[in-house]
Amino acid sequence: MSLKSERRGIHVDQSELLCKKGCGYYGNPAWQGFCSKCWREEYHKARQKQIQEDWELAERLQREEEEAYASSQSTQGAQSLTFSKFEEKKTNEKTRKVTTVKKFFTASSRAGAKKELQETKTPSPSINRQASIETDRVSKEFIEFLKTYQKPGQDIYKQCKLFLDTMNHKRDLSIEEQSECAQDFYQNVAEKLQTRWKVPPEKVEKAMDQIERYIMTRQYKYVFCPETTDDEKKDLAVQKRIRALHWVTPQMLCVPVNEEIPEVSDMVVKAITDIIEMDSKRVPREKLACITKCSKHIFNAIKITKNEPASADDFLPTLIYIVLKGNPPRLQSNIQYITRFCNPSRLMTGEDGYYFTNLCCAVAFIEKLDAQSLNLSQEDFDRYMSGQTSPKKQESESWSPDTCLGVKQMYKNLDLLSQLNERQERIVSEAKKLEKDLIDWTDGITKEVQDIVEKYPLEIKPKSQALAAIDSENVENDKLPPPLQPQVYAG
Amino acid sequence: MEQTATPNAVASTSLDRTHPTYTYKVVLLGNTSVGKSSLAYRYVKNDFKESLPTVGCSFFTQTLCLEATTIRLEIWDTAGQEKYHSVCHLYYRGAHAALLVYDITSKVSADRAKLWLQELEKEFFHDEIVIALVGNKADLAAEREVTTEEGEEFAQSKSLLYMETSAKSNYQVNELFTAVGRSVVVDECWAAPAQGGAAAGPSRGPAPQRPALAAGRTAPRA
Repeated sequence: MSLKSERRGIHVDQSELLCKKGCGYYGNPAWQGFCSKCWREEYHKARQKQIQEDWELAERLQREEEEAYASSQSTQGAQSLTFSKFEEKKTNEKTRKVTTVKKFFTASSRAGAKKELQETKTPSPSINRQASIETDRVSKEFIEFLKTYQKPGQDIYKQCKLFLDTMNHKRDLSIEEQSECAQDFYQNVAEKLQTRWKVPPEKVEKAMDQIERYIMTRQYKYVFCPETTDDEKKDLAVQKRIRALHWVTPQMLCVPVNEEIPEVSDMVVKAITDIIEMDSKRVPREKLACITKCSKHIFNAIKITKNEPASADDFLPTLIYIVLKGNPPRLQSNIQYITRFCNPSRLMTGEDGYYFTNLCCAVAFIEKLDAQSLNLSQEDFDRYMSGQTSPKKQESESWSPDTCLGVKQMYKNLDLLSQLNERQERIVSEAKKLEKDLIDWTDGITKEVQDIVEKYPLEIKPKSQALAAIDSENVENDKLPPPLQPQVYAG
Repeated sequence: MEQTATPNAVASTSLDRTHPTYTYKVVLLGNTSVGKSSLAYRYVKNDFKESLPTVGCSFFTQTLCLEATTIRLEIWDTAGQEKYHSVCHLYYRGAHAALLVYDITSKVSADRAKLWLQELEKEFFHDEIVIALVGNKADLAAEREVTTEEGEEFAQSKSLLYMETSAKSNYQVNELFTAVGRSVVVDECWAAPAQGGAAAGPSRGPAPQRPALAAGRTAPRA
């Protein structure tokens, strides 16, 4: 190896190449300077520590739950049947946890062959861990919340546990049936809260929200975009559709929002952020809250632009525009999930329900959108959809201020280039014309000259006889006396 | 006789707590610029001067005190542009009342209102929903294209409530919503006499929520 490094001309000290732990083997930067064996040990030590911590947290939570339950038992008295069932589930859970932990250790203690397999799996436990931490946090808060309800609180907890239990047995049912179960559960609990446990109405609503939060955090991974439905396919279809519609401008949708005003574009960005954020929430109600937040920002944007409160005639187009611009992830899955598992009283009435309905309308509209609804001719619409041309090129002034500067510059440059191109073409054509003119001119001249030449052909006439005759007539000239010579006289 | 709600929003929430108030969903349907929003705006504004909607002007709630009971109207404004017609059925799912608004100076808007009625008839049984035909912009009587008799006759033939209003001059706006509210309550009692008892009163069960629940289970697909 030293030879190799010498050849490359880099000097590496022998000691730097060795394992950091000093076991005598060579280390590897990929293992942070350890040799493979020491790295495995270090890595698993850290991993074990993490597992230990999680385990402790789980234990603590369980203890708390049991305490809460025990206190309910002491006041409740004979409920042994459900309790034993409850206990059974607890122990089940415990053993399951233990076995998974054990599995971890056995896998880690084995060397070689299983290493790769394990390493490919490493990301998944950390994600699960995150999710389970959140679930635990929600459970803890739920228990805390129920304590304020005293006795009915314990009953509520029991009902929820029972419900989660039955849902676990109903995984094989269709999602519609599962949704039915959840809706029945909401209705039953709400009724019980009102009639049997005599909870005051304003507290019923709060309790229902907490119950929804608790059960849906736990159910989310089973019932959100389940494999048994074609939700995912629909998501992809909508996403593709929105991508294909990237060229739609606010003007086409008659959106009463002027993004050149900085505050307005700020609101638009916020609205887009909110609608995208919806996907990250697990509880239907929290997803609804995202939609409502988004809608409020839209209303603000319209209000600033138009200087008067917006009506539904303004709101829906703007929402459609925001959805097109944001292309929120898993839109259909989210809508379906909210529809199936949200407390129904929230969905059909109330502000949240109103904005959710608007979102459904927006999505339905986007799916059906055609040339007519954008006030375009069918040819233009087809051309834009196929990506042949983009209407943005002509309307580069209508860029929103939040567009990337580079992109703007690029389009400007493109514009300039096309202008240059045009000019160059003009010059070339003019040059060609000039050339043609020149050629025509020479041709013309030549033709004229030829014409003239043709018209007046050069005739070389034979020597005129008359002239010769004159000369010949003077033959006798020689015979003439010589001309008088001037003479000088002396005088 | 009856007065529409309390002077401000704070009082109305405290009223909610003491009285069991039932919420009814009212949708506003009609062409653009017939004054749907203005109508709702006027109705809510008159009673809640302080708590004007700061941002949106398309979703309102208003508490309405009737003789025997106090109810809450939840008013949903809808987009009236023709291009959204195909998706608008999502709006009136679970509604208790629908106001078909037209502009008395526009025959076209009145025809659109009739179209809305056909849509509603597809979605609801006759006794499931209270429908009111509303001729707005009564202040522009000089440019009238639809006569009162025409509206009245049509409403009668379809047994709808009928009223001419003006959001601009505040003519019969309160009367309209009060009539709708009363009609919803009466209908609810007729529809569920076994559960709630025939008399309109605060003793009724949570019947108004039922249609909303049933409708909530169907996915809002277009």
